Amino acid sequence: MTDRPTPAEMEMSPRRRAPWRNLSPIWLVPLAALVIALAITWKSYSERGDLIQIAFENAAGVTAGETSLRYRDVTIGVVESVHFTSGLEKVLVSVRVDKDVAPYINDTAQFWVVRPEVSAEGVTGLTTVLSGVYIEGIWEPNDSPPETVFEGLAQRPLVDVREKGTRITLQAIEGTSLAAGSPVFYRGVKVGRTEAPRLDANGTSVIIDAFIEAPHDKLLTTATRFWDASGFNVSFGPAGLKLDVGSIAALVSGGVSFNTFFSGGGPMEPGQVYELYPDEDEARTNAFSRVSERAVNVSTIFDQGVSGLTAGAALNYKGLKIGEVGTLSAFVSEASGKPVVQQLVTLSIDPGLLGLPDGAGEKEVLDFLQSAVESGVRARLTKASLLTSSLVVELVEMPDAPPAELDRDAKPYPILPNVPSDLPDINATMEGVMKRVNNLKIEELIQQATTMMGSIQALATDASTRAAPKAVVGLIDDARALVNDDELRALPGELKATIAEFRTTVTALNEQRIADRLAEALDYASEAATTLTSASEGVPELVEDLKAVAVKARELKAEELVAAATDLLNSADALIGTDAARALPAALNGALDEVRTILGQLREGGAVDNANAALASAQSAAESLEKATADLPQLAQRLDSLIARSEQLIAAYGDRSDFNRETLGVLRELRDAARSVSTLMRQLERNPNSIFFGK
Amino acid sequence: MQVDGLENTGRAQPILTARRAGLVACSVCGKVHAAGSDRCRRCHAPLHSRAPASLQRVWAWWLAGLVAYIPANIYPMLRTATFGHETKNTIVGGVIELMQHGSYFVAGVVFSASVMIPVGKFIAIAYLAISVRYVSALRVHTRQHLYEVVEFIGRWSMIDVFVVAILSALVQFKFVASVHPGVAAVSFALSVAFTMLSAQSFDSRLIWDADEEDQE
Repeated sequence: MTDRPTPAEMEMSPRRRAPWRNLSPIWLVPLAALVIALAITWKSYSERGDLIQIAFENAAGVTAGETSLRYRDVTIGVVESVHFTSGLEKVLVSVRVDKDVAPYINDTAQFWVVRPEVSAEGVTGLTTVLSGVYIEGIWEPNDSPPETVFEGLAQRPLVDVREKGTRITLQAIEGTSLAAGSPVFYRGVKVGRTEAPRLDANGTSVIIDAFIEAPHDKLLTTATRFWDASGFNVSFGPAGLKLDVGSIAALVSGGVSFNTFFSGGGPMEPGQVYELYPDEDEARTNAFSRVSERAVNVSTIFDQGVSGLTAGAALNYKGLKIGEVGTLSAFVSEASGKPVVQQLVTLSIDPGLLGLPDGAGEKEVLDFLQSAVESGVRARLTKASLLTSSLVVELVEMPDAPPAELDRDAKPYPILPNVPSDLPDINATMEGVMKRVNNLKIEELIQQATTMMGSIQALATDASTRAAPKAVVGLIDDARALVNDDELRALPGELKATIAEFRTTVTALNEQRIADRLAEALDYASEAATTLTSASEGVPELVEDLKAVAVKARELKAEELVAAATDLLNSADALIGTDAARALPAALNGALDEVRTILGQLREGGAVDNANAALASAQSAAESLEKATADLPQLAQRLDSLIARSEQLIAAYGDRSDFNRETLGVLRELRDAARSVSTLMRQLERNPNSIFFGK
Repeated sequence: MQVDGLENTGRAQPILTARRAGLVACSVCGKVHAAGSDRCRRCHAPLHSRAPASLQRVWAWWLAGLVAYIPANIYPMLRTATFGHETKNTIVGGVIELMQHGSYFVAGVVFSASVMIPVGKFIAIAYLAISVRYVSALRVHTRQHLYEVVEFIGRWSMIDVFVVAILSALVQFKFVASVHPGVAAVSFALSVAFTMLSAQSFDSRLIWDADEEDQE
């Protein structure tokens, strides 16, 4: 290279601008992106909910990131992770809960996994079949500080923590018929539910927790009795076959009922354990027989055998149970010189069952017993029932018992005096009853009854008895035939027809102003009727003849009776057959016919002349009538008396033979005929106009 | 812009560039003007010998793309609900799931389109932007090729967004099955757009300028 230094070429560069002025506005883009991203991150972080941890025995179906936590069916969080607790004892589910809900989750919270479940009560959790399970939580929002660690339940809790009510515990021998959620009934109304039965610590009984909803839990007292209302109950007793069925739900899933059968129970104490009776009857019975812890023990010593008496047997007073037999023991005493085995029976008396006030203790009971013993009350063995051989102890009043008193200082318990019982030998009694039954003369009784029945039957089957109704029927038939006789019924019809025609004619006449002439004609008719009356005066003679006949007939000897009667009848026949009598109806008819034809002509012609002629004819017709009926009243009277006499005559002969009956019949007919004619005549006599005017 | 042929490249011979020749070409219509002209006389576009603040813009878009790419991978791309059972899949999660089901080809396509290409682009752009300032190990021509590949392939990253869009439109059977785009779909699309802008902002002439400076 050369020695001469050459100056370096001067670098020409533009003035450097300040670095911030060099910045392009494009930097705003990443800045904005960064700010937005950071803002979103910060926001999502700050809004991130609180983490709570729930330990489950089993977390089937719970998936991190998917399974939701719900409160009142609203999603409030999502499971973030599913782990195990140390030692793999439980599944620890971490749930991210919404920030605004988390502060309320306190120590009352209960969590369980909702799965599809089908039970007799219904189907629940069906939505989880497709969408997967979820965790449900309930708690009572109160002032308690929030919690973050919880124990999960294996299943839906029996009681919602927000629900008011009382938890009780039931104790039973078996828990086969009950399930979790079985209903609890009070008088048939569902007031609570049970939890699943579980065994107690030593496995001797079944414990069932139950919940009674408010306000029904007020019904619970220490005296309340619970019984198993599951399924149905068939019992056979004096009232017949009895079938008790609870609700259908109870039939399927079981159920518990309770009731307080007697008063006197105190308010329920927390942790009260109730016994669960197998059925209502037992609960009811035991309600009166259960001896409480406050029972007062007394004892009594029986000399006689106590076979049939067992511990737990009833102690009755005036028919009611007041306690029960505690223990039975034998001991040897030498009171009367030689050793005697005696039985010491302990009796537990319940002050409550005895009716003493609440809080009565041993002193009150013994005071009562002492006074009772002084007034003659003694213990006595007696049969529990007629047919069994078991014994019970009863306190009876024996006013004539030897004086004794309650030994209050005796050990171990005060001793109650007793009297030997007159235990009836049931077998002997039954035998006696049988013997008496045997002795009853039942066969004889039956025989007599049979005979009596035979007689009644014979009477009933007798022909004459059976014929009686027939005769009555015949009689009625005869009467009906008589009434139905055509001739009898035809007469009024004919008369009516005639009168009707007459009426029309009269109307026509009236219209033609010939009433005056008509009046004249009526006068004539009246005259004719008068004549008719006088003419009939001749009839009595005829009757007198008949009377004579009757007199004759009366004088006749018995053997001449028939001939006389025949004569009488002949005379009667002749009488009826006389022209006067026979022509009477014909003449009447003729007259009426004439009147009718004339009236017809009158109507047809309509002329005054015709009317005149007609009236003349009517006049002559009336005259004919007058002639024909002149003798009628007398005739009728005589006929009457004839008949009366004939009747007397025939009555004199006593026995009514067929002949007599016929005779009488004929005579009655005659009388009737005469009476009819007479009536007709009288009618005409009284009111001649009626023949014309029809009234 | 590239004025000399490949046979003339090399450090041995300096090449006469437009800038040296005192010329500036319109980047819109290609008309050559004398240096110092502000606007193209033909199309009135602003004239620059080198794009102004090119590297700044590259870095700015690159950074925005990177910011958008983070949620695109964290948040779910697809929300698939079948029978009320919702599954959310991130990009990588979806790839893993596909592989578990044995669909290696589809998994490969998704992985390359959604992970490899975007990540590669970030690296490539960053490398190019740095290489114009500092000494580069790669030859100038290789870098030029790299730039062309990056610019070409950038748009194919959008394939993932298209798949999501098509699925969301087609699979809507209410309760039985339905697909919804997740937050990641939006951020992924933004990320792709930003990186494409970043690549476009890069003035490839800077590669050659750096080469010349090295030679001097």
